[in-house]
Amino acid sequence: MKLERAVGAVLRAGVTISTACMVLGLLVTLSAGEGSAARLLLHAGIIILLATPVARVIVSIVQYVIARDWMFSALTTIVLVELAASAIAALFFNRRL
Amino acid sequence: MPVLTASLAFVIFGVGIASGALGSLLGLGGGVFLVPFLNLVLGFPFGAAAAISLTTVIATSSTVSAGRAGKQLINMKLGMLLEVATAAGSFLGGVTAQFVSQSLLQKTFGFVAAAVAAIMLTRLRRRNVILDPSVDPGLLGGRYHEEESGGDVTYRVKRLPVAILASFLAGNVSSLLGIGGGIIKVPVLNAWCGMPLRAAAATSAFMIGVTATAGAVIYYGTGQLEPALAAAAVLGVQIGSWGGMRFGAAASAKWLKVMMAIVLFILSAMMLARGGR
Repeated sequence: MKLERAVGAVLRAGVTISTACMVLGLLVTLSAGEGSAARLLLHAGIIILLATPVARVIVSIVQYVIARDWMFSALTTIVLVELAASAIAALFFNRRL
Repeated sequence: MPVLTASLAFVIFGVGIASGALGSLLGLGGGVFLVPFLNLVLGFPFGAAAAISLTTVIATSSTVSAGRAGKQLINMKLGMLLEVATAAGSFLGGVTAQFVSQSLLQKTFGFVAAAVAAIMLTRLRRRNVILDPSVDPGLLGGRYHEEESGGDVTYRVKRLPVAILASFLAGNVSSLLGIGGGIIKVPVLNAWCGMPLRAAAATSAFMIGVTATAGAVIYYGTGQLEPALAAAAVLGVQIGSWGGMRFGAAASAKWLKVMMAIVLFILSAMMLARGGR
């Protein structure tokens, strides 16, 4: 139950903050045109959105470790490693292009 | 790639609302409608369309799951176990997508959409077996309170390897095609693994945030994700799926399945026609 509440809180916070950044970013783009402030807000919105499920996985790992559920601590850690692999692949493609 | 303008952002916002509403009505997620529209109608490269769609998947998954957390409908243990498979599939799909041609992706989309529609139609009369509440749900099963019947529903998870394989495939397809992958997982979890449809859908919706992130990060790194348009799509889909959930409860499940199958067949034909050129 504790896990569900923690996960729910992380997801809600992530979506709220990223949505706020996106709305502001779009409003600034529409009113002042594409500038560095607008781009910063829009990129921040996207990055926070991408980070939300990652944060949810990290919170799950912590909760499983606290509950001494080693099997699920290990499984969720594997998920985190896979997400890290995607981020590394992203950096690799970014450098090459 | 179309030029970024305010009117394009408004069009995508509007398409996002429609996709989100349809998606939540049909329990599909909006991606299956958003990707063909961006790719076929607006002329976005397939990768750019998939990238925008994946960001909307993350947003929808997070919002829906935040609202459901604590109600026990999401099977978090099973979800986190299957995420090991979906995230691996999604990582591989995201990398593969950078090396395959647009027409191959369009054809794949066409085949997947047609297969899903066919599965949907063959399962019209199937009902879920609701187990005796005294049954032990086991390590991975679940128990939740069903509002319609007023009782508790308990289920055990059967054929775990099938669920793992389906999740891996769903992850793969998710990154390649820019959809959530629920259209693969939900029927499999429901038909073969003993999960009631609502629990299967809630658990899948919970997982697709992680699945889509593993793919979207790669598209972001390759520069195929345009933040302004993704933001417009995300806001539209959020509004649309909120509306769909609010007003969709009254629609009949059978009618929705038939409608969904028809829409999927049309999208499939369009994608196959374009990809075959």
